[in-house]
Amino acid sequence: MSKKSKFFFIDCSEAADCCNKAQYEEANFLDKAKLYIHLILCKTCRKFSQRNSKLTDLLDKSKIEPCPEEKKQQWREEIKKEFAEERT
Amino acid sequence: MIVILLLLLSRTDELYIMSANTLDPNKWVDRYSDYLFNYTIVRVNNREVANDLISETFLAALKSAKNFKGEASERTWLISILKRKIIDYYRKINSRKGKAEVKLNYSDDYNEGEWLEEQVADQFDRTAEDEMENTELGLAILECLDSINEKHAEIFKRKTIDGADTEAICNEFNITPSNLWVIIHRARTALAACLEKNWF
Repeated sequence: MSKKSKFFFIDCSEAADCCNKAQYEEANFLDKAKLYIHLILCKTCRKFSQRNSKLTDLLDKSKIEPCPEEKKQQWREEIKKEFAEERT
Repeated sequence: MIVILLLLLSRTDELYIMSANTLDPNKWVDRYSDYLFNYTIVRVNNREVANDLISETFLAALKSAKNFKGEASERTWLISILKRKIIDYYRKINSRKGKAEVKLNYSDDYNEGEWLEEQVADQFDRTAEDEMENTELGLAILECLDSINEKHAEIFKRKTIDGADTEAICNEFNITPSNLWVIIHRARTALAACLEKNWF
């Protein structure tokens, strides 16, 4: 494959990488262009891409709230302290 | 080849038994706090109260750790304690107010129509139901994240749920961006498979 065509025709693992980045809005224009060219040609990646965007939709929809980090730290310490006391 | 397979199988068996039947309090916060937090928040609808209840749950769990028979998984056990705490919380606030009554006025002066047709639920208004489904979805996602590699799950959570920068996560976990994307890829694939099995 010539250099030029290699530039536009990427393999599946690279396409998956671009697809994942696109889910986090971290793919640049070139990445996206390459991904779309690959998606036209590759059925497996089309399926993967659909599944991946569906997962992103579900994650957005679920609105999981992260537990605040300072609370976690506090609980960690509490448990550590209590656990040590229980053992003695 | 067969020997390797057998070895692998016996190892996963061992791991399964370990994770299902023993308690490891020092890992509780990392493993379950997000799940417990989301579980509580939809039930009490107040972050401060939720935090207190979870804290109480952990302490109560530690105290009764010797009663843990290993029949249920660690998470199920913690949830059962948390449920008690939530019920206690509602009992407490109700007794403080002295009354637990719900007033429903079906025909007050403000509502013009009292026709039966107007009181039938609007079938296109599914927001409440959707909300419930979405919180359940959230819990299902967190549950699935539990079953994948712990480090991968943590990195995935930082990236997807906390929405942290790629660079920040790389520094935090001391990995390269390409490492990160590989981990994200694996986590996403595993999560999608798990959700397909358990959610749809």
